[in-house]
Amino acid sequence: MRFPLFGICALLLFPLIFSSCSKQTLKGETNANKQIDVSNGEMNGNTLHLQVKKKVLSNGLRVLVHENHKLPILSISVLYDVGGRYESRQEKTTGATHFLEHMMFKGSKNYAQGQFDTLIEKSGGSTNAYTTFDSTVYYENLPSAMLPNIMDMEADRMSNLLLDADAFEKERKVIFEERKYRYENSPNGKLFLRMMQEAFKGTPYGGSVIGDESDLKALTRDQVFSFYQQFYAPNNAILIVTGDVDSSEVFRLAQEHFSKIPERIGLSEFKQKKDASENFKLRSKLSGSLNLHGQSPSPLFAFVYAGEALGTQRAFVIDIVASILGSGQSSFLVQQYVKSRRPILNNISVSNYNMQNSGLFFVTGELLKGVSLSKFHDRFLREGKRFCRQSINERNLQKTRNQFLIGYLDELKTNAGVAGFLGTREKFFGDYEYYKKELETYNSISQEEALKVCEEIFLPGKALFVSLWEKNPKTK
Amino acid sequence: MFKEIKNYLPALIIAMIASHSLWASSDLKDRIHEMNWDGLDVVWLEEDGLPQYNLLFYFADGALSDSTSGLGQTSAMFNLLTAGTRRFSQRDISDNLEFFGVDFGARVTHEYSVFHVSGLVKDIIPTMKQICHLFKDATFPANELAKEKKRAEGSIRNMVNHHSALADLAFRELSMMGTPYNYPASGKLKDLKKITQKSLKAKLEYFNEKVKKKIYISGPKRALSVKNVINEECGFRGSEQNYVRQVDYKYTPNDKPQIILVTVPKANQAQVRIGNFLTKPEVKNTELLTLSSGLLGGGFTSLLMRAVRFHQGLTYSINAFASGQRDYGRAGISTFTKNETVTELLKTIKDVIERVENKQVSQEEFELARGYIVGSYPFGFEENMAFLSQLLSYDHEGRPYEDIYIFPNQVEKLSLDEVSKNTSEIFDWKRQTIVVLGDKSLLPKLKQLGNVQVMSYEKFL
Repeated sequence: MRFPLFGICALLLFPLIFSSCSKQTLKGETNANKQIDVSNGEMNGNTLHLQVKKKVLSNGLRVLVHENHKLPILSISVLYDVGGRYESRQEKTTGATHFLEHMMFKGSKNYAQGQFDTLIEKSGGSTNAYTTFDSTVYYENLPSAMLPNIMDMEADRMSNLLLDADAFEKERKVIFEERKYRYENSPNGKLFLRMMQEAFKGTPYGGSVIGDESDLKALTRDQVFSFYQQFYAPNNAILIVTGDVDSSEVFRLAQEHFSKIPERIGLSEFKQKKDASENFKLRSKLSGSLNLHGQSPSPLFAFVYAGEALGTQRAFVIDIVASILGSGQSSFLVQQYVKSRRPILNNISVSNYNMQNSGLFFVTGELLKGVSLSKFHDRFLREGKRFCRQSINERNLQKTRNQFLIGYLDELKTNAGVAGFLGTREKFFGDYEYYKKELETYNSISQEEALKVCEEIFLPGKALFVSLWEKNPKTK
Repeated sequence: MFKEIKNYLPALIIAMIASHSLWASSDLKDRIHEMNWDGLDVVWLEEDGLPQYNLLFYFADGALSDSTSGLGQTSAMFNLLTAGTRRFSQRDISDNLEFFGVDFGARVTHEYSVFHVSGLVKDIIPTMKQICHLFKDATFPANELAKEKKRAEGSIRNMVNHHSALADLAFRELSMMGTPYNYPASGKLKDLKKITQKSLKAKLEYFNEKVKKKIYISGPKRALSVKNVINEECGFRGSEQNYVRQVDYKYTPNDKPQIILVTVPKANQAQVRIGNFLTKPEVKNTELLTLSSGLLGGGFTSLLMRAVRFHQGLTYSINAFASGQRDYGRAGISTFTKNETVTELLKTIKDVIERVENKQVSQEEFELARGYIVGSYPFGFEENMAFLSQLLSYDHEGRPYEDIYIFPNQVEKLSLDEVSKNTSEIFDWKRQTIVVLGDKSLLPKLKQLGNVQVMSYEKFL
């Protein structure tokens, strides 16, 4: 990512993506079948429908268009199915896809270095990108008259990237500054990075998207270019355009600019091998403790449990469990440890972190001054046995559904939000309308099912404990 | 074909937006409705797209209402409204509001305060009844207050984990020293002990009974059904609640740059903030301020970003800002770099400012910045909450809504000379306060640039 607007990993992305709603009647709803327009789509009481047109070019590029003529602006997003999971610690390529993302703004055949940003910003547009383990996404917000230009520009850098050697070295310095900013000088970032590396050790998710320091120092232009050659192809990309556009014009421009780019033969088979489920099976036992020395005057902690890959029934159930336990001031763990008569934590939150091929469930937080870290650790594990029975009930299930509905609608407030919403579902499930399945699935989850999954998570001996504190001993 | 047209297309877009034929006057104006509910001014932004509403309660006073014996009280009062009432515990209150998926919270500035509520329109009546109950009946129970103060203390102490936020905090205080606006609106650690149940109840009563209010709502027409709830249950009306905070001050700018090193232990990166206070006359011309800061540090193509990141790789991000409230404003530059290159970074920034002063900015660079400001303007109206907040700011500053529609044209009329002159004045190196937050080992390097004051980060907590 080029600018500190979003997190580098999927952590910030997925809580939004799976904020959705249920078919059950919300409290206070008087007419469940009322039709409500939603951004040129409609919501029929309990189901959401966005009007989207899709076309697949002969070279495999998927093009999605959602029209919204409220303002003369558009958002465009190009999502590539490549990220940190295709890098390797053995081959010392961690950080390569993120480095490549930076270099995608440094010039292509028809748009010399600086021209890409200049043309976009001169028109009033903005552009940025982010990289996760699972994907690399480029996006622009522009006046709608810029549509022909941006289609030409995105097509040019998909097929004709320069990867200039001088620019490469300057950008290496910038990425080191980004690494310091996000992780080295941020106790929360440091804890998150180490937690992920420990939990996913020995799997493709056990690297780091920003890159190991030694790998970043040693990465060569050729190594980064090989990722470009291998993965930046129309049959590995999704183009999403939302806003004040005519869909037939978008398809015509896509055909004109992208259809001449050849598909990458054999890529699909290569990815299948890389994404084989056995590669992603957790090697870590997720038990014991990892105590990190860091600058935080109060201990930061994480209890890390095995989670789920995206899209499984169990992943949906864990979404609900995570929300009931740790989303909002009234959630169970916040009331239990932060808002209780004798609080011991400054904050606590619960995350269901789903990626394409694996996932984690974790509880993170910060102790209040004077609270013993080891006593809290023991107390949490002891009390974990009863979290589920005390928190999962019909009212909390309904509250979660209501909160999901708001989160869902919040994603659709901007053209960029709609583009992200559609693109993510198309990427992970091959179906931009997957949100309909999500709604159905959330609706089908019963109190008993949520309780069962919750109790499985909190079985004794199934958690890795990670802490970061200035009083933890220094280790290499 | 596109290579041929790409050079003039941005100019065409700017002309289209500046002429405001595309977006501004008709549709946007028609969506803004001004009303009066029993003496209470209301602005409704009509929006039928999503089944949601946003509601802002504007109060014409803020942290300036806090006396020296009770700094941070206004912020604490608004943020602890949910701590309990005579009928409901904090648990009941948060559970009831969160059941509806309601998003709510307060923002307290020195000049004014805003309490915002968002949710589904179908739930607006029960939600607003609960919100009004908080305004009328919040008791700030002593036991909850004790817990919240302990939590606040922990959060403040742990700011040492957030170097960027810590640098912002120190920079505000140091760059606005000698004005009524330098103290943090939310107070400091030492102010926590003065926050009591009694002081918060008195503060709430003051805002309920004395301070002028205005309501901003976005959503479909049925959102207006809250009129009676707000008038009757909140008790918000216009007649006697008419106090508007006014303040007089005198300000003398620096006659030479002030360099302050704020030390935090073991940082391997230096946070850098450079800026100064702007007086009321200096913030009057919004268009000029916006373009001046945009030229210097408004995007990936700004003068600073090009010089500092693209040419030298010294940082990951840098931006400049210049904006005002009603009676004052701030100008600043925000960035960071590794410890080894902090002086190089500062010298580069100074060189860029001198380039502007020496009229070495090209017409092309100027048009790029102007295009960015004009072309990006419609994006500020994409989200209803952002649009409502803009309307609120216009009212607070006493500017007519008509200014919204003429902004692109006004920016378009500005010349390179005018903008260079203004940028040189507000970012004049002599008047800047330069705050570097990082490890104490930075001191010898910074001394190469002049006298350096050294302070611990703890002074700002």
